[in-house]
Amino acid sequence: KERRCQKQVRCHENWSLSAEEFEIWDRLYRIKESDGIKEPILPQTHFETLENLEEISQHEEKATHELSLSEWRIWQNRPFPTFMVDHSDRCYHFISVMEMIELMRLEQGDCGYELELQPHLRVEDVTVQRNKSHLSVTSST
Amino acid sequence: QRLKAAVHYTVGCLCEEVAEDKDVQFSKQTIAAISEITFRQCENFAKDLEMFARHAKRSTVTTEDVKLLARRSNSLLKYITQKSEELASSNMEQKEKKKKKSGAAKGGRTSGEQETAVTESEDSNMA
Repeated sequence: KERRCQKQVRCHENWSLSAEEFEIWDRLYRIKESDGIKEPILPQTHFETLENLEEISQHEEKATHELSLSEWRIWQNRPFPTFMVDHSDRCYHFISVMEMIELMRLEQGDCGYELELQPHLRVEDVTVQRNKSHLSVTSST
Repeated sequence: QRLKAAVHYTVGCLCEEVAEDKDVQFSKQTIAAISEITFRQCENFAKDLEMFARHAKRSTVTTEDVKLLARRSNSLLKYITQKSEELASSNMEQKEKKKKKSGAAKGGRTSGEQETAVTESEDSNMA
């Protein structure tokens, strides 16, 4: 493929595909109706607690396959293999939290995380404008 | 641990507000998970804020850096920018509160963001 690219340098000076590249794309990669597979789309960001400015998706739902970031969550408590790009700190945070959730899934009633942290809470660190104590917060929920 | 406890407490309070508002319930484990995510997200924020400031050859994190954190969603960016302007129009002495309020927009990361930034990044004199 690289050889072809070099050969075609002259017509590839544009940002767009050359006629030959277009032909290849159209034949090998382009998703057509006859393929019986849905066009992949990414989920759009959406803020539950804010008014949303983002344009609402114009895709016909049925003709597309929205890529899911959560359907394989039980796999996500360990780092996946990498090739050239290492996992980021953010990614490791994500993995750790998934592992933490996995461990808490088995918990009944009392929350180990809460019990572990409660002795460390200092009143001066938090805003206590609400009269309810932390205990009532979690036990009422 | 002390920091985590404060984050956990605040997340609990915020979740309770949401619970009342939406008439849903959060399990203790859910609140714990949100707390831990918040705590870790503060690390991401602190590092990014530091880098943004350094990129602009500043050693002090400003509201402009905070706005960059919110760049991925137009709605969030608009909200943060509004809050920031509201506060900028009020007294300069209230700059500390500015951080508080723009942090609140990220939902639950409020107390954590401030404190983490203060403890983790040496040049996070945010005011």
